[in-house]
Amino acid sequence: MVPQLSWYLALSAVLFTIGVVGVIIKRNIIAMFMCIELMLNAVNLTFVAFSSFFQDVTGQLFVFIVMTVAAAEAAVGLGIIIAIFRNRESLDVDDASILKF
Amino acid sequence: MLVLLFILFAGLAIGCAIALVAQRNPLYSAISLIGVFISLACLYVMLAAPFIAAVQVIVYAGAIMVLVVFVIMLLNVEQEERRRSRLGFLVPAAVVLAAVLVAEAAFIIWFVDKSHATPTQNISDTGLTSSIGSALFTKYLLPFEITSILLLMAIVGAMTLARRIKEIPAGAAVVPGAQVLPLHMFDRSVPLSDTRGVEAYGTEEVAEVLDLPDDHDLTKRD
Repeated sequence: MVPQLSWYLALSAVLFTIGVVGVIIKRNIIAMFMCIELMLNAVNLTFVAFSSFFQDVTGQLFVFIVMTVAAAEAAVGLGIIIAIFRNRESLDVDDASILKF
Repeated sequence: MLVLLFILFAGLAIGCAIALVAQRNPLYSAISLIGVFISLACLYVMLAAPFIAAVQVIVYAGAIMVLVVFVIMLLNVEQEERRRSRLGFLVPAAVVLAAVLVAEAAFIIWFVDKSHATPTQNISDTGLTSSIGSALFTKYLLPFEITSILLLMAIVGAMTLARRIKEIPAGAAVVPGAQVLPLHMFDRSVPLSDTRGVEAYGTEEVAEVLDLPDDHDLTKRD
């Protein structure tokens, strides 16, 4: 017996759900950022599983693009986090609930 | 054997993901996330996708997490404090929606299971670097090029967001991450012995900070 496609999909669903829960319950902005990365990785696992089981390279190219987006998101997101920290001396999202002041 | 490996790496991934959410210290969360990335890379190898596995370790566990840990260290993050939840009345709705979500996921997984997608037993070249490269540079050339524009925009955006301009007195403490340049680099009338610095990014902002006339070209030194 070998691992089935549905096993990988179930694992991906579990990881994605944990990421969603993290984004909702975490208050530290860096921890929320890492939970978003976890969700992106869960989607990547789905792509690779489908690509491997259907022998189509397209899924792995999608993973490639998703990784690029994640890298861009990391650069811009961490730049925003640094800017917020300089303005408010805090990384708590509840302290950054007003955009202007 | 493969089943045992799958259970091992899947359990590792889920455990690390739960630790990521449960930790209060962001640094421990980051280390847990690296664990998730590594175990996912092992699963990619099991799925006969060695290129994606290598990129996963190099880009995610290497570059992105180094950036995250760097920012955590730079900002000297404190522990997350516990606050009273203001949305307690939504808990029943959350339970119902979670049940619906689980039912939907179970249906999809059952549906996929029924469709008899058989794993490849023979050797496939789908995940090899050469097949990914040839697809990337022929059929998917346009998305690949658009990706480069996206990365360029990210670089410019990150620089714009993280910059900071302020004239600082001599001997003052500098916020970590700011770029400090000596004042005489920008204004020739300042003697070299002047130790004042400028936290700045780009010549126009420096001209603004120093109150120089608009037509003062800082890039020309006579």
